[in-house]
Amino acid sequence: MGLEVLIVEDQMLIAIHLQDLVEEAGHRVAAIAHDGVSALAAAANHRPTIAIMDIRLAHGASGIDVARQLYEEHRIRCLFVSANINEDVRQRVADLRPLGFIGKPFLAAEVIAAVRAAAIAVDSNSC
Amino acid sequence: MPVLPEIILNVDDNEPGRYATTRILNRAGFQVLEAGTGKEALRLARSASPQLVVLDVNLPDMSGIDVCRQLKTDPATAGIMVLQVSATNIAVLDRVSSLSAGADSFLVEPMEPEELEAVARALLRLHRVEAELRRSLAEREMLLREVNHRVKNSLQLVLSMLSLQGGEFREAGAREIFAKAIARVTAIASIHERLYQDTDPLSIDMQTYLTGLCAELARAGIGDERHADLRTDIESLRLPTENGVSLALIVNELVMNALKHGRPSERSAIINVSLRRLDAGHARLTIADNGPGIAVDRAGGAEKPAGGLGSRLINMLVRQLNGELRIEHADGYAAHITFPVQAAAPWDSKS
Repeated sequence: MGLEVLIVEDQMLIAIHLQDLVEEAGHRVAAIAHDGVSALAAAANHRPTIAIMDIRLAHGASGIDVARQLYEEHRIRCLFVSANINEDVRQRVADLRPLGFIGKPFLAAEVIAAVRAAAIAVDSNSC
Repeated sequence: MPVLPEIILNVDDNEPGRYATTRILNRAGFQVLEAGTGKEALRLARSASPQLVVLDVNLPDMSGIDVCRQLKTDPATAGIMVLQVSATNIAVLDRVSSLSAGADSFLVEPMEPEELEAVARALLRLHRVEAELRRSLAEREMLLREVNHRVKNSLQLVLSMLSLQGGEFREAGAREIFAKAIARVTAIASIHERLYQDTDPLSIDMQTYLTGLCAELARAGIGDERHADLRTDIESLRLPTENGVSLALIVNELVMNALKHGRPSERSAIINVSLRRLDAGHARLTIADNGPGIAVDRAGGAEKPAGGLGSRLINMLVRQLNGELRIEHADGYAAHITFPVQAAAPWDSKS
C-alpha cells in the first residue's frame, strides 16, 4: 500500500529534497509542514499514514512534542530525521513506536530504504 | 549574577555541640540548617542544597563518614563541600578515612571559633570556584553541540541543494556531473553524521562509513542504467578521522570509475570493495571489477587517468595516506591501496 507522508521540516530546501526521495521510494507526500502548529493542522486535514520528523523545528517547537501529539491524537508514527539524534532522543520517543532514526547529513539511500521499511512496518501493523 | 545567601548544614547529634557550632557560624553571618541524624542530613543536603556541610563523624543512625561518601557519590550532592568533625581521641584514624571518603577538610573537637569560621570561608570560596567552572564547562558543551548541529545542518543544505539542482537536468551527461559532485560532497559530509554518535570523536569506524557510502554510490546513477552488483567486505577498522575521510574519497572515486568504465558487455557487472587489516601496522583497500579491464576506456578514452579530476584525487589522497597504489589487470581491473595504520590514540574525554 502506498504511504501518504507528512514531512515536518523547517528547512524548505531539505523538505523538498525529502519529498523527492519519498517519491523515488514509490510513495506520496501528503503535505509539508515547517512547525508544530502547521504539522498538526496538516495531520487533521490530510490524514497521512506516517510522518518524517525533524527534531528542531521553526519557532522553537520540538519535533518530539509534535511527534507525541501526532501519535496520541492520530496514531501517526514518525521516522525521525535530525542532526541531533542521540540516546536521549531515542528514549524519549521510544513509546511512540518510532519507524526509525536517520542522522543529518543523510544519505539518500538511507532515506529511501527507511521509507520502504516504514511502509512494510505500517502495513503489517494494520492487518 | 545575584549573590545567593550561602547555606551551611550543621550535622551533630550532640545538642550543646551543635548549638555552639551554629552560634559561631550564625555570628559569622551564615545561614545555618541543622540535622541530628545521618538520614536527616542526607535529606536536607538534597532538598536545601547547602554549599557546605559541617559533619560530625559520630551519628546515631550511621557513620558520618558514610554520610560523606553518599553525598560525594550522588551527582546531585557531589558538589557540596564537606567539613568533617571528630573528637580528639580517635581523630587520626577518622581523619584518614574521612578524607578518603571524599571530605574536603577536617577539624578536631573542640573547635576554635576563629578556625571554624576561617575553614568554612575557605571551603565556600572553593565551592564558588568549582561551581563557576562547572557552569562554564556546561556552557562550552552546549556551544559545541550547537556548532555541531549547525555544521551537520549546513552540509545537509549543500547536499539537498545539489540534489535538487541536478534533478533539473534531463540529459544524462549533466545529471552524471551532478551525481559525481553529490557523491564527492557526500563522502566528506557523511563523516559528520557518524562522528559524534561515537564516544570517540578522533577516530571513525570505517565499516559503517564505507558500507553506507557504497550503498549510496550503488543508487547514484553513475554510468549507464544497467544494474551493477556492488559487494562490500569491510572489516571493522577504526582510523583517525582525517585518514578516514581520505580513504572514503578514494573509495568514492574508484567505485565511480568502476561504475562508469568497468561494465562488461556480456555478463553482469560485479564490483567488489574490501578493506582488510594485513598486519598490526598496515591495511589494504581493494576495489575490483569484472569489466573490460584495460586500457581502451581508461587510458585511451576521453577521461585520461592521469589527467581527470578523479585520478588526480586518487593519487593525491594515496600520497596523503602514505600509501601505495597498485593496479592489476587480470579478470577485470583491480586497484589495491596499501597504507599504514597508526593505532588511533585512545580518546580520553577527561583530558
